[in-house]
Amino acid sequence: MLRNSRTERLVALVLVAPFLAIYLLAFVYPTVQMFRISFTDAPLIGAGRWVGLDNYLRLDNDPMFRRAVWNTAYFVLMTVVPGTLIALLISLGVSRLQGRFQAIVLALFFLPYILPVSVVYLIWDWTLNFQFGIAMHVLDWLGIPRVPVFKSRVWFLPAVAGVTIWWTAGFSILLFLAGLRSIPAEIYEAAALDNSTRWTTFRRITWPLLWPITSLVFTIQLILQLKIFDQVYLFSIGGRPNDNMVLVYYIFQKAFQQNQGGRAAAVAVTLFVLVVVVSVLQFQLLRFAERRRR
Amino acid sequence: MNFRRMMAIAVVAAGGFWAVAAQAEETVAWWDFLGGGDGVRMKQMISDFNAAHVGKIKIDATTLEWGTPFYAKVQTSAAVGEAPDVMTYHASRIPLAVSQDLLEEITADDMSKMGLSASDFAQTTMGAVTVDGKQYAVPLDTHPIVLYYNRVLLKKAGVLGDDGRPVGMKNKEEFTATLQKLKDAGVEFPLGSVTADGNFMYRTIYSLVCQQGGELLTGNEFLAGDNGKKLANALAVLQGWTKAGLQSTYTDYPATVALFTSGKAAMMINGVWEVPTMTDLAKQGKLFDWGAVEIPVIFDKPCTYADSHSFAIPKNKGKEISPEKRAAVLEVISWIDKHSLFWATAGHIPAYKPVTETAEYKAMQPNATYSTLTANMIFDPKSTKAGVAGPIFDIMSNYFVPTLNGEMDPGEAVKSIKEELNSM
Repeated sequence: MLRNSRTERLVALVLVAPFLAIYLLAFVYPTVQMFRISFTDAPLIGAGRWVGLDNYLRLDNDPMFRRAVWNTAYFVLMTVVPGTLIALLISLGVSRLQGRFQAIVLALFFLPYILPVSVVYLIWDWTLNFQFGIAMHVLDWLGIPRVPVFKSRVWFLPAVAGVTIWWTAGFSILLFLAGLRSIPAEIYEAAALDNSTRWTTFRRITWPLLWPITSLVFTIQLILQLKIFDQVYLFSIGGRPNDNMVLVYYIFQKAFQQNQGGRAAAVAVTLFVLVVVVSVLQFQLLRFAERRRR
Repeated sequence: MNFRRMMAIAVVAAGGFWAVAAQAEETVAWWDFLGGGDGVRMKQMISDFNAAHVGKIKIDATTLEWGTPFYAKVQTSAAVGEAPDVMTYHASRIPLAVSQDLLEEITADDMSKMGLSASDFAQTTMGAVTVDGKQYAVPLDTHPIVLYYNRVLLKKAGVLGDDGRPVGMKNKEEFTATLQKLKDAGVEFPLGSVTADGNFMYRTIYSLVCQQGGELLTGNEFLAGDNGKKLANALAVLQGWTKAGLQSTYTDYPATVALFTSGKAAMMINGVWEVPTMTDLAKQGKLFDWGAVEIPVIFDKPCTYADSHSFAIPKNKGKEISPEKRAAVLEVISWIDKHSLFWATAGHIPAYKPVTETAEYKAMQPNATYSTLTANMIFDPKSTKAGVAGPIFDIMSNYFVPTLNGEMDPGEAVKSIKEELNSM
């Protein structure tokens, strides 16, 4: 059969066009603008003078930027690997349950993920409020001194990391469960016939076959947590981001509170490059690890 | 027959409706950030205004989130021509707003159209809304911080004077002794302090710096000379109270108000905007005998931080305000200012002098008790870096929480604040 390749190309273009238009308008254009503004001294709104690499050179000597980088790294460390492991453990547990009971337990774990971040913030702020939180009354009852969880310098980031894992685990659990269900039962049967122990079964069958999912969850988590902002912003209400400064908060502070759009853009570009480099590197590493397994 | 009559009535009614609409009622889009007890009073004033201007002007009001979200939204919406017709604005932020070319000038002609003159306002307040001799807003009020106190607890501890006011308001030693007596009398928190909110504490700390004659900005330098030392002194006093267990630690804003109203804290330094919370609770019989006075003198002289809610007209890019709309906006501002006696029930001190000179205002409690402090008010430094949620406010606030709760040395905090402010 003869095909009119021209018409086909046209149809393809028409089908792709809406996505392409939105992609160009809502992603490519702002990104290009971000790069451009980062070389100027623009305020939040409006144009600025060309200052070359000035904004970038100033970052080198900026203690707050350094703190933001370290805190972001610290936060990623506290959320990504533990978050992935916890989700894996929970999904292994949930997959052993049956029928409706499984659905209920899964729903309980997934429920926090549905909540908007502001609700998550309110729930935990009420629970752990230093003066009136329910948890503090429990501590009083146990005779343990109260802990200002979201207000002290030491506790802030670990506490927000904990809340973040609680909030986002549901999605990772679903991905892991989908992965677990796609492993054929015959393999487990064969393993059982060979008298394989539980641990061996997990190490030799479940873990390797789940590897693509694990690397997917890991990558999603990594990119997401590098961009941490909402929770830190909400829990810092009342002015205390300095000890807890993370990169996106720093961009927000520079742009919206200090009216320095150019310098904010320079930080944004830095974060953009960082996310691209880290995720590409990480993905390549995981692929390499997978290949070596085979 | 019946049906026909009904139709006739409907037609007449519809006609009447169109006739009203045809008179070209101006709708004034209004934004404010008054979310607390004062917001309830402002909503009342807006509906009173609308009732008095049926068919002529209608205020379409929206209340937005206070602070950075409000000011960021104003800035972005004005840039694309979507700003409101009139908005509330903190006087402290006006230099910054002018540098961003955000506000329309309020001309002498506008003032006379409103039936207002500069002499109707206190000089400091008028000065706060003026940049380089040009006026950019009309002040509605001034809102300082005050010391709230629980007469029952103070009396029990023997620190209530015969005049019904707390004793020990003249220096640091006296006031600390008063707090200590309250503690000894079994009060859990002699002073309820917003120690988990640096934004709030900025007001108290700035007052204490001013009580030593200090200033934040000298020329273009932040905390020049011994001003840094004065800031450290202010922080040290507050940290000392924390360490002696005289004030609540790690307490956020709502919790502080709750500690005071529940009787766990005997005193509280807070904005006058909490007056409606107290009067409303007292009216329902849910509050003890309370009072509010000028904050104590901790250092050399009385001084209290204040700011002013004012009305400003945003410069809408590419969508200039029409003369008719502008006239309607001026009427809104003028009416609200002239009826601001009711606004005083929100705790604020009306900026329009003829209101504060009335006998009714002078008899209003507790406003009358603390209105003396207007003589000792200090506004933010006039700078594009100043103002609520502005750079100075923001940078300084961030160091207050760890310092007030004893996690950071005052000297260390001041050093970092200075570095950050001067490298902006």
